[in-house]
Amino acid sequence: MRHGRLLSLYCMALYAFLYLPLGVMAVFSFNDAHRNVVWRGFTFKWYQLLFHDAELLGALLTSLELAAAAAAIAAVLGLLASYALTRHRPFKSREGYGALLDAPLMMPEVALGVGLLSFLVRAGYELDFGALACAHALICLPYTVGAARARLKSMGESHLEEAAMDLGATELTAFLKVTLPLAMPAIVSGCLLAFTVSFEDFVTSFFLAGIGIVTMPIKVYSMMKFGVTPEINALSVLLLVATFGLLALNAALASSRPRRDGCGP
Amino acid sequence: MDRALSWLLGGRRPLASHLLLAPAAAWMIVFLVLPAAGLLLLSLAKNGPYGEILWTLSLNNYRRAFDPKYLPVLLRTLGFAGGTTLLTLLLGYPLAYFLSFRAGRWRNAMLIGLMVPFWTSALVAFYSWMIILGKEGLLNAALLRFGFISAPISILYTSFSVLLGLVYFYLPFMVLPLYGSLEKIPRQYVEAAYDLGADRWTAFRKVTLPLSLPGVIAGSLLTFVPCLGDFLTAEILGGPRYYLLGNLISNQFLMAQDWPFGAALTCLLLTCLVGGLWLYRRWDDQA
Repeated sequence: MRHGRLLSLYCMALYAFLYLPLGVMAVFSFNDAHRNVVWRGFTFKWYQLLFHDAELLGALLTSLELAAAAAAIAAVLGLLASYALTRHRPFKSREGYGALLDAPLMMPEVALGVGLLSFLVRAGYELDFGALACAHALICLPYTVGAARARLKSMGESHLEEAAMDLGATELTAFLKVTLPLAMPAIVSGCLLAFTVSFEDFVTSFFLAGIGIVTMPIKVYSMMKFGVTPEINALSVLLLVATFGLLALNAALASSRPRRDGCGP
Repeated sequence: MDRALSWLLGGRRPLASHLLLAPAAAWMIVFLVLPAAGLLLLSLAKNGPYGEILWTLSLNNYRRAFDPKYLPVLLRTLGFAGGTTLLTLLLGYPLAYFLSFRAGRWRNAMLIGLMVPFWTSALVAFYSWMIILGKEGLLNAALLRFGFISAPISILYTSFSVLLGLVYFYLPFMVLPLYGSLEKIPRQYVEAAYDLGADRWTAFRKVTLPLSLPGVIAGSLLTFVPCLGDFLTAEILGGPRYYLLGNLISNQFLMAQDWPFGAALTCLLLTCLVGGLWLYRRWDDQA
């Protein structure tokens, strides 16, 4: 039994290590001291400062637009691709397509960044919002494909569309009335993951943003270059809360999936 | 229209599948495959005196990557990637073991708990480590308070802070594959070992550990290869003295304006990636 106790203690210590930075940041975002890490009393002023920072709000808006655009592109492309991968009769290059669509996960971010940077600049393309949105859609695509693929595959085993077609529906009607509604939780979940990936991405944006586009993580980075300030703490905490919110929404979606549709695990 | 779409969705012909996959595949080709091919081409070019690109093809950039000025960066990157892999394996294995054999009803909560730092922005987490490790940081304050040191010491911007950042970031990459393979081990195998008189340690050494080897290999690969290209950790926690390959690459593109050399370095990195994947596939096929 002592072994078991020791192991649980060890695991608790490891989790403490993982959460230490998050906790420290949260605590010091309420600290009423400018540079020091000594506790000087509770304050909301760093949060208030954030809400009056026009540049910051601009960065937030840019990030939200970027994430929405990237998630939307990735969702549509991902749905079409994962439908063909899971529901079509197996075809020769299916595995190859699957590997290609997962490639952004394996590609080092720096390689992706400098590759796109040099490619776009050499091709004479101005680095703008559109270019960044396309790059973000690329890194989001594996997530939307992954989410939709798992769901569509398990639905395939339930033959619901076949039932619809036996009752006279065309493939298109079956897709719109049966497949799409049942796959919707997975599609939304994929979108949320994609949105989170894009919203948090720093490295790709760092290489492609040029000078004109400031996303939230880029803004945080440039603030960090000027040194450690409690304002960044507050901002980071808000970013964390946003991430947690998105993930919690995602988890809620996953657990609220209808169980009696015959396609659950 | 209806018939055409139904034909696409029905997918009885490979052409329909290719058409549905075409947009996503084209996206990958335009924004990933072509840029990678472009880097390969660029790596053979020569940098002109004003940062322009001269298309006199040669392997000089690759030769330069191994000259004494840059070799230490490559070796350091290999060292940090290896060290991170080893440390995350040693630290993560007990956790993965606990998750699959002992955690019981806590398992799901713990797995989600492991994913949360994984999903939070690394930028934010590293920033917080700066607060903890800095000269006026929490760790120095604590060490002073308890009398371990008499004056603040440098912890941030050392090889220690880089290694810590890497281990922090890559731990879930190691633990999840480990957990995946430990989870698959049939419990009867371990019980059978006990029934045959093995004690805990022997059962672990002779049954559990060998059967979890696929997870060890997958986890190590998923840690080692991304570590080779890591950029953010040394950028924030390392400073110029501890730059890794990713930072060297970034500098060639953003500061030194020597794109061909940067492209050659990136191609070296991608070669390691492809090599790693190839080794893994070969090993996976044999097992």
